[in-house]
Amino acid sequence: MGEKELTGIYFCQPSNGHPDVLNIPELAEYAKGFEGVPVVWHSGDFLLTDAGHIAARIKENNLSRIVIAGDTPGMVKTIFSKAMVKAGKDPANVILAGFKEHGADTLSGINLAKGVLYCAVLGVPFEAATVPGETPVNTETLVIGGGIAGIQASLEIADGNQKVYLVERTATIGGHMAMFDKTFPTLDCAACILTPKMVEVGQHPNIELMTYCEVIGLTGGPGDYTVKILKKARRVNLATCIGCGQCTEVCPRKAPSEFDAGITLRKAIYIPFPQAVPNKYVIDADNCTYVENGKCGVCVKKCPVEGCIDLDEKDQEVEIKVGNIIVSTGFQVFDPKRVENFGYGKYPNVMTSLEFERLINAAGPTEGNITFRTQDKKGNWIFTKESGSPKSIAVVHCVGSRDENYNKHCSRVCCMYSLKLAHLVKEKLPDAEVHEYYIDMRAFGKGYEEFYNRIKKEGVHIIRGRTARIEEKDGKLIVRNEDILANRLVEQEVDMVILSVGLEPREDAAALSKMLGIAVNEDGWFTEANYNTDSTNTFVGGVTIAGVCQGPKDIPDTVAQGAAAASRVLQSILNKKVKGSIKELSLENIEEQAKQLK
Amino acid sequence: MSTRVNPNLIKEIKKFGASDWNACFHCGNCTAVCNLTEEGVLFPRKEIRALQMGLEDKLAASVEPWVCYYCGDCTETCPRDANPGELMMSIRRWLTAKYDWTGLAGLFYKSLPALIIGFILVAIGVFAIGFVKGFDHEAVMHFGHKLEFWLIISVFTLILVPNILRMFYFTVIKPKVKASIGSYVEAVGTLFLHMFTQIKTLKCDKQTVRWLEHLLVVLGYLGLLVITVFLDWFGTENKIIIYAGYITGGLVFIFTALLLISRLGKEREVNRYSQPTDWFFVIWLFLMGLTAFLVRLFIDTGLLANNFWLYMVHLMILAQWGILIVPFGKWTHFLYRSFALSFINLKKAANNVKMEAAA
Repeated sequence: MGEKELTGIYFCQPSNGHPDVLNIPELAEYAKGFEGVPVVWHSGDFLLTDAGHIAARIKENNLSRIVIAGDTPGMVKTIFSKAMVKAGKDPANVILAGFKEHGADTLSGINLAKGVLYCAVLGVPFEAATVPGETPVNTETLVIGGGIAGIQASLEIADGNQKVYLVERTATIGGHMAMFDKTFPTLDCAACILTPKMVEVGQHPNIELMTYCEVIGLTGGPGDYTVKILKKARRVNLATCIGCGQCTEVCPRKAPSEFDAGITLRKAIYIPFPQAVPNKYVIDADNCTYVENGKCGVCVKKCPVEGCIDLDEKDQEVEIKVGNIIVSTGFQVFDPKRVENFGYGKYPNVMTSLEFERLINAAGPTEGNITFRTQDKKGNWIFTKESGSPKSIAVVHCVGSRDENYNKHCSRVCCMYSLKLAHLVKEKLPDAEVHEYYIDMRAFGKGYEEFYNRIKKEGVHIIRGRTARIEEKDGKLIVRNEDILANRLVEQEVDMVILSVGLEPREDAAALSKMLGIAVNEDGWFTEANYNTDSTNTFVGGVTIAGVCQGPKDIPDTVAQGAAAASRVLQSILNKKVKGSIKELSLENIEEQAKQLK
Repeated sequence: MSTRVNPNLIKEIKKFGASDWNACFHCGNCTAVCNLTEEGVLFPRKEIRALQMGLEDKLAASVEPWVCYYCGDCTETCPRDANPGELMMSIRRWLTAKYDWTGLAGLFYKSLPALIIGFILVAIGVFAIGFVKGFDHEAVMHFGHKLEFWLIISVFTLILVPNILRMFYFTVIKPKVKASIGSYVEAVGTLFLHMFTQIKTLKCDKQTVRWLEHLLVVLGYLGLLVITVFLDWFGTENKIIIYAGYITGGLVFIFTALLLISRLGKEREVNRYSQPTDWFFVIWLFLMGLTAFLVRLFIDTGLLANNFWLYMVHLMILAQWGILIVPFGKWTHFLYRSFALSFINLKKAANNVKMEAAA
């Protein structure tokens, strides 16, 4: 920066006092101390529609560079570039100081934002000026979440001969993938791919599997974390349970099966599914008569192993020490009850895609027969093989996704899994009509467009138009749509509707992000260190993310990211040290590094 | 046939209100969620498309915006927050301006100062005439009664009839809709049915109360018009006419007051984005009903002689209503909507003939 080169700073967002919004006045005060910065503007100082006016302000202050600072500075860059041209200056000298993309938020403190601003004004890349120090690393690793991402990451590290703790909240690993019938576009059986990996995890000498456990606290720093884990009372001894199943036979209580997405009932003492790892029983305390009122215990009496079932077992807390943490907590599916017009929960044969995955699975309640939902004698809604098959099925895309009223993001997998479900229906009921209603068909991966063409050739009616309403009339479901390409209004009568529900961050993802100190984006997904070049690291040293918790993705991408996260961990173990957190750098340190680069 | 594109159409429509619709990603939700759409009558998405592509002739030829009663379902469920309901309203304003041969409707919609100046000029005119007549109460009332009569005739023949013909030209003649004589006869039937009942509103969800309020205002207004202009309410001694006037006048100001309150509360989707012209329309209708009611009340109680200002105010409101709001403002939706519904039947009939020929 020559002496004559002057820079103007524009803050593109106001400071509204909200606890999640950075204190802009403080940043502006800091910026006023810079050399060669004669002006600091705030949003609202001028209209962002009038490039001529901005050009005049640039000329008046004889500026040759503009720094736009804020969470999303790119949004207003165009007008400043135009203004620079109008003022006869080089439009390449409009520099963005994006706080959010560099992890500078209220959680990380204002110093990081000041550093971003400092580097932008100096014209130094922020990444280059914020190389954190390195600390020795504990070679043991914690993986949070036992879905396919966590399984892959754990296996990669364990196969590298390093110790892994895999913590899973439910009683088995496997996650959502275990629930799927087939994968797209190859139509492989999901369980056939996943279960061998699950077994490998269960038997691996380097993996300590902690199912039915939750991470509840974190202390220490990069390379040396102490993690507090809640071991929820399983009430069945993992070491001695032989999985004979006699307890389940006598258990008097039933509850909806989580694994079957709630479409079947399981007992209060149960194995989530036959291939569960560990293949041991667990007691659902919320539905256990003994836990409720102390009067039952028939499972204990029936159990052939002395002392295996302990109905009075209490939750425990344990602490482990690890050097790296991989977060692979996945997602939850959108609850379509929120969309009143679709009548989910009101019409029995309007179901979610996840429920349909279980229904069409050969290990599901009807052995893979597609049948209607009916009520059993006790009034529970269930599927039986005898309840008749639909002759027409509608698949509704984008339920809860790409919608300003619910989730704005595209869930990325729904188009493809919907096409897959259409194929599976055609396979099982060749005479059934399948109608797919989509907004845009996003067949973006290798072999996906070909898969889409294949499904079209199978005679599935693929109609462009978002479904607005589903109503029941004389036992039939009426799906109301505009058929945009045919210029028609469609009121299609079908027997069954599948709602292709989107993916959203887990309810407690925000709490976990606070605990770990990692950031979330506006949709609630965990923020990576760099969208393009570092999608698994975070701004917190020793914490990496993998799978859908970072953003919606399909199984191949999830597996790839799980492996990528593991490679970061192995790298730090091989180097015997781990990078610290950017957030812990002091402002003086960032300023010093930036000056040296200049 | 080549299609002419007007690249400035988007800017033009924005002057009539809505501005969010460019977020639209054409999912078709608005068309499908609407209770009034049917085969051959598809909106609002197709209008958004025409607008985004600058197809001015196509938009001018579309009568579909008049089918919409603005229940707000499309806006509430729009996945892009593109506010299609408000766009329909803005297109109706734009169409009103398009049909109006004088260009004044467009001017008043786009410029609030012009509208206010118009109101002030009319007020000055009324008081000037009052001054010329020496505020003599008989002479002024006689003049007022004649004014009402001539206003109706001249607005009807000079503005409304030519504008309806222009609407017919834009929507039926120019797009070359070929319908049989029989379908024209049927269209006249639908015209009067919808003009006096707005029965289609009932197809919308949760609109029964609004429909009833609106119907009572319309019937009250038409009744008051007949009773004051043709039965000389302020001059008559006939008890039946006097009471009928009270009832219709009361209906007008009570139910417009309710509509006003709901517009203030913005509880209904339709009321969230009121424009100045919308306010003027409802407020002036309210004032007209109220002042007419009070004038007759003052006559019956003998107070008018000493409170002649009341009649002057009533006459001013009436003149502003008749000279500005009826020919160039929101009042015209009463005509355009009913005609649009009957033109749609023509289009449908012509389309059926085409389909049969194709088959």
